[in-house]
Amino acid sequence: MSRGKLWEKLRPYVMIGPAMIGIGLFVIYPLFYLIYLSLFKFNLMNRNMSKFVGLDNYIQILGRQDFYKSLTNTVVYTAGVVILTLALSLLIAVWLSKRTRVNAIVQAGIFTPHIISIVSVSLIWLWMMEPSLGFLNYILKGLGLPTSQWLQSSKSAMMSIIIVSVWQAIGYYTLILVAALQGVSPTIYEAAALDNASKVKVFRKITLPLISPQLFFILIIMTIGSFKVFDTVKIMTGGGPNNATNTLVYYIYSYRTTNIGYAAAAGVVLMIIIGILTIIYFRLMAKKVHYQ
Amino acid sequence: MKKFFSIFAALFLVLGILAACGNEEKTEGTPKDTSKEPAQEEPEGKVTIQFWHSLGGVNGEYLDAMIKRFNESQDKVEVVGTFQGTYDETSTKLQQAISANTAPDIAMIERAYVQMFAEAEVLEDLKPYFKDSDVKESDFVKGLMGHSTFNKKLVSLPLNRSTPILHVNKTMLDEAGLEVPKTWDELKEVANKLVVKEGNEVKRYGLTMPYDTWYPIAMISQSKGKFFNDKKTSVDFVKNGIGKDVFQYLKDMQNTGALFYPPQTDSGNIVNQMFSSGKVAMMFQSTGSIGGIAQQATFDYETAFLPKNDVYATPTGGGNVAMLASSEHKKAAWQFMNFMMSDPQGLQQFIVESGYLPFTKKMAESKPIQDLWAKEPNRKTAYEQLEYATDTNKDTAWPEVMHEFFAAIEAIMYDNADIDKSLDTFTKETERILGQ
Repeated sequence: MSRGKLWEKLRPYVMIGPAMIGIGLFVIYPLFYLIYLSLFKFNLMNRNMSKFVGLDNYIQILGRQDFYKSLTNTVVYTAGVVILTLALSLLIAVWLSKRTRVNAIVQAGIFTPHIISIVSVSLIWLWMMEPSLGFLNYILKGLGLPTSQWLQSSKSAMMSIIIVSVWQAIGYYTLILVAALQGVSPTIYEAAALDNASKVKVFRKITLPLISPQLFFILIIMTIGSFKVFDTVKIMTGGGPNNATNTLVYYIYSYRTTNIGYAAAAGVVLMIIIGILTIIYFRLMAKKVHYQ
Repeated sequence: MKKFFSIFAALFLVLGILAACGNEEKTEGTPKDTSKEPAQEEPEGKVTIQFWHSLGGVNGEYLDAMIKRFNESQDKVEVVGTFQGTYDETSTKLQQAISANTAPDIAMIERAYVQMFAEAEVLEDLKPYFKDSDVKESDFVKGLMGHSTFNKKLVSLPLNRSTPILHVNKTMLDEAGLEVPKTWDELKEVANKLVVKEGNEVKRYGLTMPYDTWYPIAMISQSKGKFFNDKKTSVDFVKNGIGKDVFQYLKDMQNTGALFYPPQTDSGNIVNQMFSSGKVAMMFQSTGSIGGIAQQATFDYETAFLPKNDVYATPTGGGNVAMLASSEHKKAAWQFMNFMMSDPQGLQQFIVESGYLPFTKKMAESKPIQDLWAKEPNRKTAYEQLEYATDTNKDTAWPEVMHEFFAAIEAIMYDNADIDKSLDTFTKETERILGQ
């Protein structure tokens, strides 16, 4: 092999080297270290006292009620947020897809929550949802409707968190869908109009398939993102009442001081779940996505 | 071939990094110098001591003022105080800092976490330092030293200590012609009589307490129960029925509207506000909130012992101060600790300002504290109550068990879960944790 050829072979690796070092250091190494930690009853402060326990942490996780509770909560949360956000932002996007000045203003308004820190959003909703002094119950009372305990009852706490997350997310996804709708070539609609196709039919047979790549993208991003929900839970409920809003990531977080090994094992389980979800999505849904 | 090469390159990279980090671990893993010799060579010039604490707000300012007084009193040692968030946050940060070899010299540790740090052998034994100091071990009030020793080592000293206490809106009780309750039965009766309802809505409650394990634990020891059994293999208060009594008592009061049990987030501030604004007549709450309430209350405000069931009893709380074994300036660090414990300008002044408990007999007998008590007898109650202080939840695994106890409290208080069943689950989890 001549020197030129060798360089030819090596060049790509040298080029991606810096990026790979970053990935190795901040993604791959921590990942292996997480798995390593999960096999120990780990003593963070005095490593000599750490005890190798094999798969004990995993056995304990799979045998514990509260883990399944937080897993179920996470699934409920994810399903609630993904379905509601997708449906609502699609609805709003269709309504806003015509380029008029009013629509631009409305769209900016709907987008605003996205640029506000989720911490502020949570704190303000926390305040509004206060059962005896809060704004929401004041309105409900004024309209003669039954009031809710919102975050303070284990029955309505999850719903309340979902409302806040959906409210915050809609604007961003509406923006993506509006762009997708405006990207559909008008000639296709003109052809459909010539054929006297009904509005419902146009939407189902033309609009939906043509924006399916964006819908698919939103679905994946949101499912994975929702599985990792943390901030709203941390600020608004602390996982309660009675674990009603304890999600996987919060579950991991709550063991940070007392049992790092167990928390790491739960982290590995979360990683596996998200990995499986992603694979399923790509395998199944990719077939149904219509690319022009 | 190409694929093989890329896989090989990636593997090589990962292994290299892992190996590098592995080496690092080994050097970190060697036990740090835990020599008990307090005498150490001090470098020339001014020594800087890092001090982490959990006091923000007004109390943080009082603490900063004390640090300033120390720094100005001499020119050898400079103490830098850093606020690290709540007790829990400070503990978490301290764990990580110790692991990364960047720990401070002195740290405030919430008393229940002390055992966990002591077990990891990262706290300095303070006994040898007492030799040439202005304080003696016997000067400290016994009830507050429960968390200070571990395996015969003295690993921490009191700093900002508190106990729960009964806060009373005396005006409200007087209006109803009621006496301040001294027993559980009286408490239940008084609390129920003070309830004001409009239809189904409770407008005024009799009693409230923050969402915390502190208050149920107080009630357990008032019923002559202990949290852990003596062998530290299980909990003591469940099988003998005390736990059931405690929670049944709370549930009965909650069901009639006599007890308001607050939501878990921000519960301390919520109950303080309700009490100050006259929405609840009595409150179990820390002595640490006396100052704040006294400022806001427009009514006749009194404090009293927590009512007794079989006996008077109270757990203690608040923060201790510990020296890290990894500190390089132990002598200087002790100089500061000695100042805090013994100098009238040290913690004594801080306690006068903040309302925490004096923890040495000398402090309690000092003129500033005696004057304060004469002026505000509310603050004296807690010190007197220390006679009945007992901590039965001492164990290295307490932080983890606490997690489970909270789960039981939430299930019972928020979701009306069956008391026996919840406590059984709790016992099972605790035994598993203690068995590890």
